[in-house]
Amino acid sequence: MALTSARRPEAAGAPGAADAVIDRETRLALYRLQLELRYCEKRAYDLFLQNLIKGTSHLSLGQEAIAAAFGVAMRPDDWTFCTYRGHAHTLARGASMAGVLGELMGRQIGLLGGKGGSMHLTDVSHGVMGSYAIVGAHLPIAAGAAWSAQYRGSGQVAVCFFGDGATNIGAFHEALNLSVVWKLPVVFVCENNQYMEYTPIGTVTAVPHPAADRAAAYNLPPILVDGNDADAMYAVAVEALRRARAGEGPSLIEAETYRHSGHSRADPATYRPAGELDEWMKRDPLVRYRARLLEQGIGEDVLSGMEREVLRKVDEATQAAKSSPPPSIDDIEKNVWADGGSAWRN
Amino acid sequence: MAELTYREAVAAGIAQELARDESVVFFGEDVAKAGGVFKTTVGLYDRFGPKRVRDCPISEQAILGAAMGAAMTGLKPIAEIMFSDFLAVCWDIVANQIAKTRYMTNGQISLPLVIRTANGAGSRFGAQHSQSVENWAMAVPGLKVVAPAFPADVKGLLAAAVRDPDPVLFFEQKSLYSMKGEVPDGEHCDELGKARVLREGKDCTIVALAAMVHRALGAAAILESEHGIAATVVDLRSLVPLDTQTVLAEVARTGRLITVEENPRLCGWGAELASIVAQECFWDLEGPIVRVTTPHVPLASADLLEDHQVPSVDRVVRAVREALS
Amino acid sequence: MDVIMPQLGETVAEGTVLKWYKQVGDAVRADETLFDVETDKVSMEIPAPAAGVLTEIVVPEGVTAKVGARLAVIRAAGEEAAPSAGPSAPAPTAAAQASAGQASTTQASAAPAKSGAAPASPARGSAAAAQASTAPAAAVPLRARDGRGGPPLSPVVRRLCAELELDPGLISGTGPGGRITREDVLLYAESRRPAASAPAAARPPAADAQTRPLTLVRRRTAEHMARAWATVPHVMQAVEVNFAAIGALRRAHGPGWQAKEGFPLTFLPFIARAVCLALGKFPELNSVFEGDALRLNSRINLGIAVDLQREGLVVPVVKDAQARSLAELARAIDDLSSRARAGRLVPDDMSEGTYTLTNNGAFGTVITAPIVNAPQVAILSIDAIRKKPVVVEAAAGDGIAIAPVGMLVQSFDHRAVDGACSASFLTELKSILETRAWQDELRLEGSD
Repeated sequence: MALTSARRPEAAGAPGAADAVIDRETRLALYRLQLELRYCEKRAYDLFLQNLIKGTSHLSLGQEAIAAAFGVAMRPDDWTFCTYRGHAHTLARGASMAGVLGELMGRQIGLLGGKGGSMHLTDVSHGVMGSYAIVGAHLPIAAGAAWSAQYRGSGQVAVCFFGDGATNIGAFHEALNLSVVWKLPVVFVCENNQYMEYTPIGTVTAVPHPAADRAAAYNLPPILVDGNDADAMYAVAVEALRRARAGEGPSLIEAETYRHSGHSRADPATYRPAGELDEWMKRDPLVRYRARLLEQGIGEDVLSGMEREVLRKVDEATQAAKSSPPPSIDDIEKNVWADGGSAWRN
Repeated sequence: MAELTYREAVAAGIAQELARDESVVFFGEDVAKAGGVFKTTVGLYDRFGPKRVRDCPISEQAILGAAMGAAMTGLKPIAEIMFSDFLAVCWDIVANQIAKTRYMTNGQISLPLVIRTANGAGSRFGAQHSQSVENWAMAVPGLKVVAPAFPADVKGLLAAAVRDPDPVLFFEQKSLYSMKGEVPDGEHCDELGKARVLREGKDCTIVALAAMVHRALGAAAILESEHGIAATVVDLRSLVPLDTQTVLAEVARTGRLITVEENPRLCGWGAELASIVAQECFWDLEGPIVRVTTPHVPLASADLLEDHQVPSVDRVVRAVREALS
Repeated sequence: MDVIMPQLGETVAEGTVLKWYKQVGDAVRADETLFDVETDKVSMEIPAPAAGVLTEIVVPEGVTAKVGARLAVIRAAGEEAAPSAGPSAPAPTAAAQASAGQASTTQASAAPAKSGAAPASPARGSAAAAQASTAPAAAVPLRARDGRGGPPLSPVVRRLCAELELDPGLISGTGPGGRITREDVLLYAESRRPAASAPAAARPPAADAQTRPLTLVRRRTAEHMARAWATVPHVMQAVEVNFAAIGALRRAHGPGWQAKEGFPLTFLPFIARAVCLALGKFPELNSVFEGDALRLNSRINLGIAVDLQREGLVVPVVKDAQARSLAELARAIDDLSSRARAGRLVPDDMSEGTYTLTNNGAFGTVITAPIVNAPQVAILSIDAIRKKPVVVEAAAGDGIAIAPVGMLVQSFDHRAVDGACSASFLTELKSILETRAWQDELRLEGSD
């Protein structure tokens, strides 16, 4: 039984949507980015059904507001560390759609040249320092990047996205402890989508809010926010980034959200109670944000125009990815070492 | 030339690199203020300060995760894992993350980091604090593996490891920390992937690593003086990159290979070498390849038992004599 | 990679390719014999510097080329047209290979030559990358056993027997349990190898049993002798030497010497030592006649003629014999003659001789008039030393005693010196041999 499914995701202890003053340009950027994340992820789903994407993919449909909010709030030289459910986080930093779709399809145009796949999307030129497939592994890695920024005095911040399930693994605790002790400029963002793979998070966690309720253990304030409200997320993001850049140390944010699909491609998610998905679909972040923008006086034509444009962008990227050839067999021996090769002997 | 102990050479190597390059940092458990549980890093904190030489909590995953994150964003970290056995605690970071990330990202991510750790038996610490696990690292593609036998090589190979753009696991043999040796004055930087022939003899080639190098040399001396057998002794120094050319040349000359390994029997580093020699040097072999290893059991703590398990000089002598008979 | 004319001796500038063992297009293994080359001093088999395919023969059989000249081209395993793209191991040049072969043959007899087995592995490494675990493509199939019940043959022995076309049943094994070792095979191969290039197959007479083709050494010897005889006016002189004192010393010290040194103490080292001392007083006999001048040598490089029975004569040289003690001379002579009989001399062993000894006495002759080893000006034959009755002068009256007596016979170039000089040399030589305190020299040796 999911303990949190019936709870209203009000922002408890976090700056509310009402308090934040976010200008029009930023709001449009937030909406546009969420559109790109949603449409591209949907396209990935379609390509999978056409058997153009092999293996497995972990879709974040429904969780776009979190990645988009940080995508708008972060500096270009900040770093993102995300999980294997990281297509959106990668795109949100400006990585090319053709690169993302191409990587999922195993083509040369892919961000990783077909070497890494869906679970390891990386785009260093846009600050995406890896998507990580071992739960929790990237939290200490993000802490290390933050240490580098602190050491060099660069003002960069590492933002680390992970799921509710990661809060129970050892690396989570080690990373938080170290980050607080060293006062590192890192923001830990828990996307609580209510399920740890196939299991409701509440049945395997000692506390109701898997991240926010652990904050005190690390001498951090709890931050609980509606992960499906882009404005609320944006406000929280801006504050956490400010705090890190000012040398005040890390933040731990729990964003409540829901994923529309199963854990992975293979998962039809029949473990979810009847009606739960419908409830959360009503709180679909894009639907809500669109309505809010219209309320705030943004014209329908602006929004539709944006939607058409993003769809076109996704179509172009899809085409580019489909036309790209698969990688060469020679790539197998490349890039184990910095010299581009893989020799282990003379 | 100065005479340093193996442990002093560790500190000297780290100091040399810290002084040379601002992006080098060093951290681990009890390494800064306390100078290391094996006293291998004494003086570094005083000289370089808390920003560059840091004490960590007991958090192996955080330590190596942080090393990786720092390395990919402009620093050159040297991380200590106190006992090499503890690599098992953070093996995900080593084998899944550090070893594979450059490859998976098709070269986007660089990880110029060094993990140094105290390896090996002989100190009566028992099964979980005495293992030689360099062969674990050898088995994972994407990791360079170094294990020096002499103080000069500690300093020189550590410097080379720090300057190497790839991840390097640097295995110090704890039983050698007190040994003395000549270390060149001034800047000393050696080369990874180069074995060294320590002794030439026409009857057989003994290849060894780290603490076993000294056993091999001791055995070679006895073999020569008491049994008229002239052994070549090769100090392998690196497992990855592996200097197969030197080993193949020496075995081609003598026709015989004996390895001396501190790893437990199965899948010790010598197994790979034996396989390479059997394949590429078969038609120069005068007799079977022999591996002298620790038996395939955990290490016991009682001194009598531990000494019996790890290859001794006598056991090497006997193995060579049997092989040549 | 290029196959080049190797350096075959310090003073050698060129060589003649005698025979190619491979044709263009043939596969070549590293260290497989590739061609024979001859200089005026020696002929040698040269191994291939790398494995691969022989793509070009630049210098054909019978043609002479300078040291370092390109003789052929091998496309090494893994190469395209350019040098190897394989693992970065330096491939040894033919020169390095040949000199490595030479180096190994000049080692002490404790480590017999491993012809071409030494620095083979760099090439082997790069070859191995292309052709791992290839059994040697021998014309003779690999034999796993020696056929006489010995232990199975090791891989290296199997390979060598196949490559060198040897019957392991004929090789004595010195390894544990009578096992044949690599050294046993190589030693056997060397001992069988004639200095000539003629393969064994050509040796047994076919239809006509009376014709024996000349070996290379025989041919060279013939040329040399004819030239010397034609140009040098020979005069022969002899002295009869009483070897009693030396004989007694040999009886007394012989067994101890043999035990210590591993070879017997013969008359030859004493004679060699005495010759050096005598030549010190008569340097004209240690010279070269140069037409308008006599060039005296400051060094005495003593040639010791060694008969190889049917294979001919070779004259290895003990360099700087004047600086050597009796024992050192004995060791050097033994070493050179052993190696000569085993076919393991190298060109530098036979160069720069200034005076020659020829030990015909081993064959029982009373007197021999040897041919001068031009451009030297004199040569000494040591004929048989036999017990003879000798007159012993004493104040109380002459008597007869039995003593070992032998002739020392010198042929000399009468253009360079006259009879008086030669005769004086010979009487000096006799005096040294008969009256020198040889026991002092031996005792000094005993103490080291």
